Amino acid sequence: MSFSTFVTDKAGLQKMYEAIISKHETYAPVEKFGKYDYKKVSSLKECDPDSPIAETMSVKPLFFPRSSKIMKYEATSAGTSILETDQDPLTAQRVVLGVKHCDARGLQVLEAVNKWDYIDSDFLKRRENTVIFSARCDKAGTHCFCTSLDYDLENLDALDIAVVNGAEGKIYLQTRTERGETFLKEKLEKSTMYNVQSTNDESEMKKQYVAFAASFRLKMDYKDINEKMAKRFDSPAFEEASRNCVSCNTCAFICPTCHCFKISDEKIKDTGVRYKSYDSCNNVYFTLEAGGHNPRPAKYRRWRQRSMHKFVYYKERFGVNLCVGCGHCAISCPVNISIFDVVNHIASTPVGS
Amino acid sequence: MDYSKQIQDIAAKLFADGKIDVFVGYRMNGFDDNQIPVVITDPKEVSTLVFTEKSVFNLSNYLKADHTRNKRAGLVVKGCDSRSLNLLLTESQVKRDRLYIIGIACEGVVDDKGQKMQNCIECIVPDAVVYDEMLGNPQGRKDYIVNADIKALAEKGLVERREYFEEIFENCIRCNACRHSCPLCYCAKCCIDQETASLYNGSNTASSAFHALMTWSLHLAGRCVDCRNCEKACPSHLPLHLLHKQNEKVIFENFQNHLAGVEEGERGAFYKYSLKDPDDFIM
Repeated sequence: MSFSTFVTDKAGLQKMYEAIISKHETYAPVEKFGKYDYKKVSSLKECDPDSPIAETMSVKPLFFPRSSKIMKYEATSAGTSILETDQDPLTAQRVVLGVKHCDARGLQVLEAVNKWDYIDSDFLKRRENTVIFSARCDKAGTHCFCTSLDYDLENLDALDIAVVNGAEGKIYLQTRTERGETFLKEKLEKSTMYNVQSTNDESEMKKQYVAFAASFRLKMDYKDINEKMAKRFDSPAFEEASRNCVSCNTCAFICPTCHCFKISDEKIKDTGVRYKSYDSCNNVYFTLEAGGHNPRPAKYRRWRQRSMHKFVYYKERFGVNLCVGCGHCAISCPVNISIFDVVNHIASTPVGS
Repeated sequence: MDYSKQIQDIAAKLFADGKIDVFVGYRMNGFDDNQIPVVITDPKEVSTLVFTEKSVFNLSNYLKADHTRNKRAGLVVKGCDSRSLNLLLTESQVKRDRLYIIGIACEGVVDDKGQKMQNCIECIVPDAVVYDEMLGNPQGRKDYIVNADIKALAEKGLVERREYFEEIFENCIRCNACRHSCPLCYCAKCCIDQETASLYNGSNTASSAFHALMTWSLHLAGRCVDCRNCEKACPSHLPLHLLHKQNEKVIFENFQNHLAGVEEGERGAFYKYSLKDPDDFIM
């Protein structure tokens, strides 16, 4: 299937967005207390698809909710029975506007683990039924390093339709997947494609990317990091680097790729509801066993687990880094620790010292 | 307000005299003017220490961590930080003779945008209340003010107030960063983490977030020193100070102008008994 490129302007794009919102279930970044989170919207006024990356939460909770009900059960002296299981929440197609490229890549990375071993059909179905409109950044944030990682940001196919700003107020729309192509060509009525023309000229998109790529403060050689981190499991640098961490877990909760969860029961008398909710390997209880033993009692071990999982273990198993370089952990960290600085520091220490 | 040089000298001397094992301070993050708290064990790193109006994070939080708990530690405290440190001392969480405290007569710190923080504008105790050495010119105690947010809250009815907080907590993602970054939350097992208490289950439902945050704020009532570590940690930028400031006001008015951690050896409002305590309500 061939993919296509369209050109429009701000008014044209807004009209198209409004048409999408009125016809489809649409999610977009909604501001509250200066922070944007993806919520269901009923008009374009409520949301801002061009929300600043530093203040936007990940889109991950739309696919892997912060807390989801697994089942309702009854446990009496007569025995245990399941009253209801969680019905698949998504059957109709939905649209998400303004997803950052790094964030969309996070979903692609997560597909690997959700397809492996146990197949998480909910996650996969949600992704399959969602059309993602991206918003490519024009300038890198303070903690961004997405261009340094193992994916082609320019032609990223983790999203369905890329929205790129060109010169003189022109906006380019490029389909990247079959889902995006069908959505733009068939699902959208022609009348809503106001001022949207097909084009073959992609030179301005290239120019935008070159300017964007030049604006990065942080650059990383991820192959070097993968290799060096793998050899530094016993490095004392982990202890040093983790000393000022307060184990608040925020980094894991807002990360577009962290996917650890816990199971908890909310039980009143005989009936209960079982939830699957986010958890973090930085949490001291995360590895606590029923017998009381904790294999990761020290903070540096939990820190090591998180950074090694991002740059070594996931890479070994699935061939991709579990870090997408969005910088959200560094932005949200109350003590300004940046995973970029930490892994670079650890990789730079001599082996076995 | 720049005491970097003085702090470096003091820390270097402490290490040289063998008085401390670790020093907790701030260093620059290396690319902009923001700072990172740092726990130093190597005297060579002393030269990286700084202290300016960007030194925001309350360092007494680090005293509950393993690498400082049973060691002799030096640290820098502003007015609010010293109040929480005072409470940690009173509640037997740290030993005074293991600490060397550099107190700051604080002129207020600024947020990421360079604006003076709201709690600094309303600060009652700018000078450190517990210290071995004081830097800067002490300004003395200021008057207690009830800010506009809390006044507005008082005008709301109970139902309205509940709805207002429910709306705020809607964006809570239950990461518990507020609790972990709070210097006064040191319980080995927090009630919010109990598997058996269904009220505070681990799920991220709205009711669970409401109960968890309300319980948390009540456990800090009469102890919160308004350092705003929790707000700095919150990834959703929730105005958590509303909870604490409201509690502070109720306690100030009802418990003989009690302010947490201001007097040495004074316990939190709910941890001491006085015949003057009001008994016409149950909190």
